[in-house]
Amino acid sequence: MTRTNTSGVDLVDEETTLNIARAALFAALMGAFALVSVTVPVTSIPFTLQVLGVFLAGILLGPVWGGAAMVLYLAAGAVGAPVFEGGSAGIGILLGGAPSFGYLWAFPLAAVVIGYLVHGSTEVRRPSSVSPARLVVAMAVGTVVIYAFGALGLMYVQDVGPEAAVLAGVVPFVPAEILKLVAALGIVRSDVLQAG
Amino acid sequence: MIRTEGLVHRYGDVTAVDGISMTVDDGTFLAICGANGSGKTTLVRHFNGLLEPDDGEVFVDGDPVGADLVAARTAVGMVFQNPRDCFVAATVGADVAFGPENLGLAREEIDRRVESALSAVGMDGRRDERIDRLSGGETARVAIAGALAMEPDHLVLDEPFTGLDWPARQLVRERLESLNAAGTSVVVVTHDLGAVADVVDRVVVLSDGTIAADGPLGAVRADLEGLDVRPP
Amino acid sequence: MTLVYEPGSTPAHRLDPRSKLLVQTTFVAAAFVYTTPPGLLALTGLVAGMLAVARTSPLRSLWEFRVVLPVVVAAPILEGLTLGAPWFVLADAIGPALASVRVLLVLLVTAAYVRTTPVRESRAVIQRSVPGRPGQFLGMGAAFVFRFLPVLQDDVARIRNAQRVRLGAERPVTERVRLLAVAAFARAFDRADTFALALQARCFAWNPTLPELRLGARDLPALALAAALAVAAVVGAT
Repeated sequence: MTRTNTSGVDLVDEETTLNIARAALFAALMGAFALVSVTVPVTSIPFTLQVLGVFLAGILLGPVWGGAAMVLYLAAGAVGAPVFEGGSAGIGILLGGAPSFGYLWAFPLAAVVIGYLVHGSTEVRRPSSVSPARLVVAMAVGTVVIYAFGALGLMYVQDVGPEAAVLAGVVPFVPAEILKLVAALGIVRSDVLQAG
Repeated sequence: MIRTEGLVHRYGDVTAVDGISMTVDDGTFLAICGANGSGKTTLVRHFNGLLEPDDGEVFVDGDPVGADLVAARTAVGMVFQNPRDCFVAATVGADVAFGPENLGLAREEIDRRVESALSAVGMDGRRDERIDRLSGGETARVAIAGALAMEPDHLVLDEPFTGLDWPARQLVRERLESLNAAGTSVVVVTHDLGAVADVVDRVVVLSDGTIAADGPLGAVRADLEGLDVRPP
Repeated sequence: MTLVYEPGSTPAHRLDPRSKLLVQTTFVAAAFVYTTPPGLLALTGLVAGMLAVARTSPLRSLWEFRVVLPVVVAAPILEGLTLGAPWFVLADAIGPALASVRVLLVLLVTAAYVRTTPVRESRAVIQRSVPGRPGQFLGMGAAFVFRFLPVLQDDVARIRNAQRVRLGAERPVTERVRLLAVAAFARAFDRADTFALALQARCFAWNPTLPELRLGARDLPALALAAALAVAAVVGAT
């Protein structure tokens, strides 16, 4: 059946509507995760689930819409949705107003990289059909992207050298990142979630 | 008028709607009921082209739905089962304005439609309230206003009474009745005929994707037995 | 609990959101150029003025940014520390300490914007400044994020509570994270499906009527301030 219309209304097609809805829901979930902190045993450093959200955006939505979801997350935060760390918001944060700004800018890039490495193209495959090794490599690369940007951001915003940036912005989170990677693997392999 | 001809819809191997031909006349008050999985929701989602038929066709005012989706969706307003998941904005006025904005109407016309839709559901002057702070009944009425702002000829509501207490139910029913009296045809998909028993002109009973009975409430009463429908 | 818009009629509420965004952007630029004690002192005065115009409490706003504060405090200390005597070099810590003050000032300016600007206006700014479909995607998408954020925060809180009730706290942390995330994402996918249908039923379009924005005489002071900050930043940088 041809689906057209005669008025000047340019309808968003069905597939794109669903992708926009999912991207917005993912972005909102990233915001909800920003308020959830889980404490890593032994080190007792609290971490949020946000990086897990980036992993899953790339894996479940693919490089295009996973990246788009993270761009929406930043856009919503820039205009005042309380989605950044601890419920903060505002364009000032994205312009270097907060120490987290490097991590934030890395989220869309990391989601695109992870999505591309997992799916091999802009087509979205069923995540449970992807080999665990491939998922681990993709998430590891994504993690490196996020923390490299994060450390650079700290050097710029806080005016510190590379050693202090790595000590404050990378080292404390390594155990948590390994946990998140394992958790993400379990989530994707569990097959409960399908972006179909 | 909404008309389906030999409408078939399948989800994989399951045939949810199996060759339904029916019409919804202008100005009517129709209830569609049947057990869970009888195909009610699937059927009505064809009325405004949210689903594409696997076979058969759907016409709105004589034109195939797919030929002009904007016309079909303007003519047939739809209110979903969980209105809380369907709002697009955080405040009442911004949400009700969404449909008319998409139609590209002038700002004054949009404002007029928002006012008139809110007043039709008894929510006048509450444009700036936050939707997440409304009661269940108010939420249902704002969802109806969102559909009314498109100025539809037909209003389709999927289980509008679920989760509402008795006073809220009465209020929603009264609003639907007055809309119907003003000329809008109303289609209510429901388990609970009790809420609309004294206003419906006609009841369509579905069973396994086909029409099991169709007629005034008195004529189909016997067919409601054994179905998961709360008789009036 | 979090930083959100609060209806009101302060002079800051009545400004066009574009003027407010310009002031914020140029303020950040100026703050990076003048990260010196006199520069930051002057900017602090300016921030105090902006907060007063927006009737926004500085202490309350800082409290809302409390999660950011540990890094702000830790950075100068970490930079000042050295391996070996004298263990702490004050001179090394001064730069990062000034940067921390700058961070706090930028956060306060941001708080004033968020408190005084409704979602509808922010959405309009995006739709009007980014052309075509990308602008519509970002504008509506951001509005949808605002809309769903409290819902998903509730979902996540509810899932966590349910886990606690079922002695979830005794499970290993990966298991807890996995269960929480699976449930949260499954809920989000369901909601997205329903939401997409509702959007289609209401003719979700690429070319809707946009909310109105009007620059007026009342925006002149804000625009002048933005221009002054921009000039100061350019002059200071060259």
